[in-house]
Amino acid sequence: MRALHPFTLIGIAVVLPALAWILPAPWGGIATATVALGLCAVGGAGSGIRLLRVALLTAAPFWFFLFLLHGVGGMVTTGVRLTTMIASFLWLIAVLPPACLVEAMVAAGWPASAAFLLSATLSAVPALRERASRIVDAQRCRGLDTRGGPVARFAALRALALPLVLSALHEVDERALALETRGFTPGVRRTPLAPPRDRPAERVVRWGMLVICVGLLVWRIV
Amino acid sequence: MSAVLGFEDVAFAYAGRPALSGVSFAVAPGERVALVGRNGAGKSTLLRLVTGLLHPTSGVVRVGDWDTARRRPDELAHRVGSLFQHADQQLFARTVADDVAFGPRVTGIAAPEVAARVERALESLGLSDVAGEHPYDLPPPWRKLAALAGALALESALLVLDEPTAGLDRRARDRVAAALATRAERGAALLVVTHDLGFAAETLDRALVLERGRLAWDAPIAGLLTDAERLEGLGLVAPPLARLSHALALPGRPVREREVARALAERCRA
Amino acid sequence: MADRVSALVLEGVTYHYPATRTPALADITLTVDRGEVAGVIGNTGAGASTLLLVAGDLVPRVLGGELTGRVTRAGRSALLLPTPWTQASGMAFTVRDEVAFGPANLGWPLERITAAVERSLARVDATHLEARDPATLSGGELQRVILAGILAMQPEILLLDEPTAELDPAGAVAVWGLLRELAAEGTAILVATSDLDALPDAADRILWLAGGRVRAVGSTRDVLSDAALWSEAGPGSTAVAGAWRRAALDAPPPLTVADAVERVR
Repeated sequence: MRALHPFTLIGIAVVLPALAWILPAPWGGIATATVALGLCAVGGAGSGIRLLRVALLTAAPFWFFLFLLHGVGGMVTTGVRLTTMIASFLWLIAVLPPACLVEAMVAAGWPASAAFLLSATLSAVPALRERASRIVDAQRCRGLDTRGGPVARFAALRALALPLVLSALHEVDERALALETRGFTPGVRRTPLAPPRDRPAERVVRWGMLVICVGLLVWRIV
Repeated sequence: MSAVLGFEDVAFAYAGRPALSGVSFAVAPGERVALVGRNGAGKSTLLRLVTGLLHPTSGVVRVGDWDTARRRPDELAHRVGSLFQHADQQLFARTVADDVAFGPRVTGIAAPEVAARVERALESLGLSDVAGEHPYDLPPPWRKLAALAGALALESALLVLDEPTAGLDRRARDRVAAALATRAERGAALLVVTHDLGFAAETLDRALVLERGRLAWDAPIAGLLTDAERLEGLGLVAPPLARLSHALALPGRPVREREVARALAERCRA
Repeated sequence: MADRVSALVLEGVTYHYPATRTPALADITLTVDRGEVAGVIGNTGAGASTLLLVAGDLVPRVLGGELTGRVTRAGRSALLLPTPWTQASGMAFTVRDEVAFGPANLGWPLERITAAVERSLARVDATHLEARDPATLSGGELQRVILAGILAMQPEILLLDEPTAELDPAGAVAVWGLLRELAAEGTAILVATSDLDALPDAADRILWLAGGRVRAVGSTRDVLSDAALWSEAGPGSTAVAGAWRRAALDAPPPLTVADAVERVR
């Protein structure tokens, strides 16, 4: 899956949620959610099951609130759409390394700053996860018990959330400064180091996906 | 006499890649031990084994009479105060004092005692003035001191610290040295990973040297620092005072500033 | 000695971080010549990191704030931050790509980039790491790799903030030696460090910063022999100077082991 061009991967990750909203509910959403979750299970490169679990766990609270607000019907309709979005995004993060995205964008003529911004978004989640695990380790060594019932877990989350957010925000600041030290020059085009191969077949598929989406959207409106 | 910390033929491998093998040593109460070695020798891995974040692949790590493999890190926190690298990223409370109080509070110490310990810890590191500040308003070196205060406030039998003086200026280094000396005098055992062999010479008595995952040396630190050949073989560089001591053949080969100064004075008046 | 060409000049520079009343730097005047290694010493908060940010044109350009005075640079500057894990791009599969990150941003042709990357990796003795994933490196290895990345941009002015903080003593010695080599090739170097023992051999001149102001500036020997360094708020000097002072022997103190041996004989 990593052999696919980054734009193709992004295309898939965008088309699935788009179709979830365009296609008739609830079967459209159910179909796309299934595909997206399936991609998670397959695309995790060994940790597919873990990725699937993360996707489901992330979506679960939304389903709960949707049930409270809209009852079963509303919960399913919107729930599968949200699940598609979440699963697609998590899958994209798992299969698209930021380095590849940057190379693809730069080779396509995008300015380096736009490429870095987009790839920083992609790498934000794994970076946050890694940082979170370091902070949890430190808190456990100070006596924080991370097992226990919901109350204990909530207390543990509080001890984690603030340092995570604060230090992440702080690091964003530092990294923005640090990137500036790596040779950015306004008006200079970054040299592509290893532009990913873009097969004609993939380009066809991307355009095809776009056409299908637009077509379906028009069909639904009309 | 019961050891505060014991490694019994401990081995550890990260996903098949060996990081430590055949490590055995014991630390008694009040002992001040430096853990030194080249980058990548396995020092941080060893500390993670002590705190229970990692369990040995083989062998036993004992903290007091507890086998770390049967304990969680939060249980071990009752006996081990720790400071990791990048400790400045783990602070989370609204004020420095609150953050330092976190460990003692969570390990079940009564409120008045917690307040007393926090005050003592902050005082010993010169942080009393910033007790009410937000941790992230402090420059990173002071945040590291705040994290150290948190470990000191646990007043545990064993303190394991990873590079406590990295990035600190002289004043802060001296405060850390004094605070650690006080804890050791009160019976705590110290295990300090450090590249700063000058600091190790001043503050610690015994050196454990890790080389490629094995314990290559376990003996008093002064003997190690004045043995230039052995140091070189272990990829270490003697700190300036030890080199001076050796170059001038000062009697007793002192490595601490006070003793080197005394020997220098005697040599020059002779 | 041949006439030195100045590469970096600060004249009367005062800088306030955004929304602060106390200046982080006040009335700094400093010149660093090509081929010179200038060290900056001082306590935490004295302004050394800020000084490097000003010298590297990162402040006020990126962080905002108010700068008065003049900064003149002859050539490209590059800054090594004290936190290599922050300075790593996060967008490189391999160490080679990480080191190439800067040169690629400068828009150099691929052959020039490849040559620069190989050369810098060799200079920091990290060629054996070239295929590794930067995320798996230890702190010390990463610091050397980021340094290689900075050197690969071939700056005329090299700015370093605590370049040996993560390194073991042998690694630190190698970096100081490398800085001397680079200076010999004409690079102007400004380095902030708390490793005072390295400075007598590594630096030609020292700037002592206190509270954002220049407390003293001069040759390494002159500045590091100053007794005022040992005051309550001072950064101290080399370990040898400290022991000499404590022995109440005649000033000025020797700074290195070799100096002390000379004096005692």
